[in-house]
Amino acid sequence: MMRRIMAVAGYIFKQSFRNRILNVLIIFAVFAIGFSLAISELAQEAEAKMVVDFGMFSINIFAFLTLVLSMAVQLFEETELKTISMIMVKPIRRYEYMIGKYLGIIATVLMNIVLMLAVLMVIIAFRGGDPWDLRLLLAALYSFMGVSILASTALLLSMIATTVPGCVIYLIFVYALGHLTIHLKNLAALTGNYIVKAVVDVIYYVVPNMELFNLKDKIYSAAGLFTPGYLGLVSLYSVLYIIITLTITSILFKKKEF
Amino acid sequence: MESVLEIKDLTKIYRSLDFWKNDRTVGIESINLTVNKGEVFGLLGLNGAGKTTLMKVILGLLKPTSGSVTMLGGSNDDIAVRARIGYLSELPYFPKYLKVHEVLDYFAEVLGIPGKIKDIRINEVLETVKLGKKSKIQVKNLSKGMQGRLGLAQAIINDPDLLFLDEPMSGLDPLGYKETRDIILDLNKRGKTIFFNSHILSEVEKICTRVAVLSGGRLVDTQAVENIMAKYGSMENYFIEKAPAGVK
Repeated sequence: MMRRIMAVAGYIFKQSFRNRILNVLIIFAVFAIGFSLAISELAQEAEAKMVVDFGMFSINIFAFLTLVLSMAVQLFEETELKTISMIMVKPIRRYEYMIGKYLGIIATVLMNIVLMLAVLMVIIAFRGGDPWDLRLLLAALYSFMGVSILASTALLLSMIATTVPGCVIYLIFVYALGHLTIHLKNLAALTGNYIVKAVVDVIYYVVPNMELFNLKDKIYSAAGLFTPGYLGLVSLYSVLYIIITLTITSILFKKKEF
Repeated sequence: MESVLEIKDLTKIYRSLDFWKNDRTVGIESINLTVNKGEVFGLLGLNGAGKTTLMKVILGLLKPTSGSVTMLGGSNDDIAVRARIGYLSELPYFPKYLKVHEVLDYFAEVLGIPGKIKDIRINEVLETVKLGKKSKIQVKNLSKGMQGRLGLAQAIINDPDLLFLDEPMSGLDPLGYKETRDIILDLNKRGKTIFFNSHILSEVEKICTRVAVLSGGRLVDTQAVENIMAKYGSMENYFIEKAPAGVK
């Protein structure tokens, strides 16, 4: 079983890794991180903070864009070019294919994050900061975890959406909503309306809470959220969320026709 | 005779994607068919007759509305059964940035071909489909015909007992026709059963031992090629008479 899953993961990773559009995106990402060096000149006496803030912001955005592009490439080839039918008749279970596909996509995102983080660390060292600051590394790790949750959600959305653009639009919507749910919940509590509160509660628990993974804003915060308990709970949340979404996706994928 | 494929009362009705799902299209209807071991079985029909639908239902890519399929003594859901079949879709496409060898390596891995013999097997099938010298080339540099041959290579990499080919001559030049025909006949000589769809009647005449005609989703006739040639003189005459029969 593992051999089949890893075969699919490797295939998807190679496919994404060599895709020209994704290559260009990686180059842009590296340039964006490099730009933090220039922008930090604007913040006197807080250069290192500016580098970290801008660098982590770029890592988050480009990791998400890598996910969107990888998903779009995969879906286009599977649905429009019908590459999936030849693999689905092979001795592979559909959930194995789905897990392999998930691993291939997040491996692509991970590779991109590691590359961007390496560039950022060089710039931090150049600016006289500590590139091995544990908080920075944790912020990057949790950024990856956030995109991993989004990747499993994207696979679920691909079962519901009938077209590639449809899936991409849903994913962008989930990403935006995922950063806003906590604020929506607070607003709903203020209205005092039970129906609004109930609707927002459903959204809050169904849509992945992306703000949980946003550690970048806390790197310089004295009351930061870097306690082992918090990190443990967020990790548990992401593992459970990924397992649940991939299970639902596999059930829907089993019923899918090609 | 030992049968390798049994189809009983197979029907596939497509439902439209609209909200109420009121619109229904009959893909295939009440198909009964048996394919015996060692046959080269050709499925003929006009465009939209249901040939690809039938093949996809047999392979489990589409779920039947009713009826059953048994192949190689088991179900199309059975992993052990699927390890013994091969399938080439019409106009196969592969990721353009992967190399020919990498594409086949992927299929070999999924099929569980042991590491020690995997590379030997990949080189063997590449030689068979005349792509031996293209193994390190990216798919984007292959012609349409070569991509078709790569598709055939992935279909036979596990040395299948039952091979399904959906329009295998599609996009090929006359030399490609001959090479594909030779591969099919060679596989058949080695005891493999082949089930294929085609529009190219001259090739069907040369390759098949038995054919069936689908029309309007219904199976209108099944005949041994020998009998067809004796009675109609050519596959074309037979097809012209039988193909429109089921069109509503």
